[in-house]
Amino acid sequence: MDEKQLVRLAQEGSQGAFEELVAKYQSKVFSMAMSFIRNREVADDAAQEVFLKAYLALPKFHLKSEFGTWLYRIAINHVRDVLRKRGRAKEVSLEDVREIPVADENAMEKAEMERETEARKGLVQRFVQGLPEKYRTILTLRDLQGLPYDEISRILRLSPGTVDSRLHRARKMLRHKLAPYLVQGGGSHEL
Amino acid sequence: MNCKTAEKWISRSLDGRLDERSRGLLEEHLKVCPSCRKAAAEYRSMAALLQRGKEEAPLPRFWERLEPRLKEEQKIMPLVLWERWALHTIPVFVALVVLAVALFIFTPQAAEMTQSEALLIENTNPFSETKGLFEEKRPEARSMMLIFASLDEKPAVRRQWP
Repeated sequence: MDEKQLVRLAQEGSQGAFEELVAKYQSKVFSMAMSFIRNREVADDAAQEVFLKAYLALPKFHLKSEFGTWLYRIAINHVRDVLRKRGRAKEVSLEDVREIPVADENAMEKAEMERETEARKGLVQRFVQGLPEKYRTILTLRDLQGLPYDEISRILRLSPGTVDSRLHRARKMLRHKLAPYLVQGGGSHEL
Repeated sequence: MNCKTAEKWISRSLDGRLDERSRGLLEEHLKVCPSCRKAAAEYRSMAALLQRGKEEAPLPRFWERLEPRLKEEQKIMPLVLWERWALHTIPVFVALVVLAVALFIFTPQAAEMTQSEALLIENTNPFSETKGLFEEKRPEARSMMLIFASLDEKPAVRRQWP
């Protein structure tokens, strides 16, 4: 059964159809919430709230856009509300950075390298949380979630040109914040 | 190419959104510009660190936890709708009360009624009191009735003799 049929059935009151939609999108919605919130319990609760809101708003959804796009829009608005209620993300301090040891990678064991990479990723994502909201949103959707440009354009209701320029500005801001910690040891993190 | 354009193109190249010609021009620029080369390396490092891993799964039993909440919402829904409807009716009700009060205040009140009007409202014949007088056949009795009626209306006043 295709997605539109599932949506129509869910609109007619079929719990089974809505369950299938939830099964399809729960990881996507949770991952998105997680990349903004960085706390599993809170992100899980946010994902539940998103599906609850979507379920209640389903009669108003006229299938003009894809269900996924509509759901992502609800998710982003909800996550923004959650973040607003929790207060602005703490700026990353130098002390946080020093928690990550910069060691010679050649001498490190594989597991240790992976641990460090994960720690670095966590740190970068915390820097992302410190960006102004509109830049944080676009960077999360593109670089953390890996959504294509046209999808971002539809979710945020922005022109492709605005997506391009805003994303560039967001990356530029993040690069300036991260510059002291990037490409250490002669570009060990270069691709 | 200037460094500002180069930086923009580096960002686009991360998403594979740079055509062949532009990519060639950017590579040429990077060969001769150390600061842009450094910027390109930093952007690539950043992209690698931002890159998402595998999609994360929510906490276990996601649907099992969601389903009772949906059912609960379904039960509450008519109540919530009624509440919203009731809330919308409050201003309408207030407006009607204000209108009624205004009508009551500004409508001109009827002037004081005459005695005949009052009798009419009470559905009383104004000639009922004189009815007996007209119906009396005997002239002497009628004369007496007229005398007593006039006595009732005016208190007796002693005539002043000059």
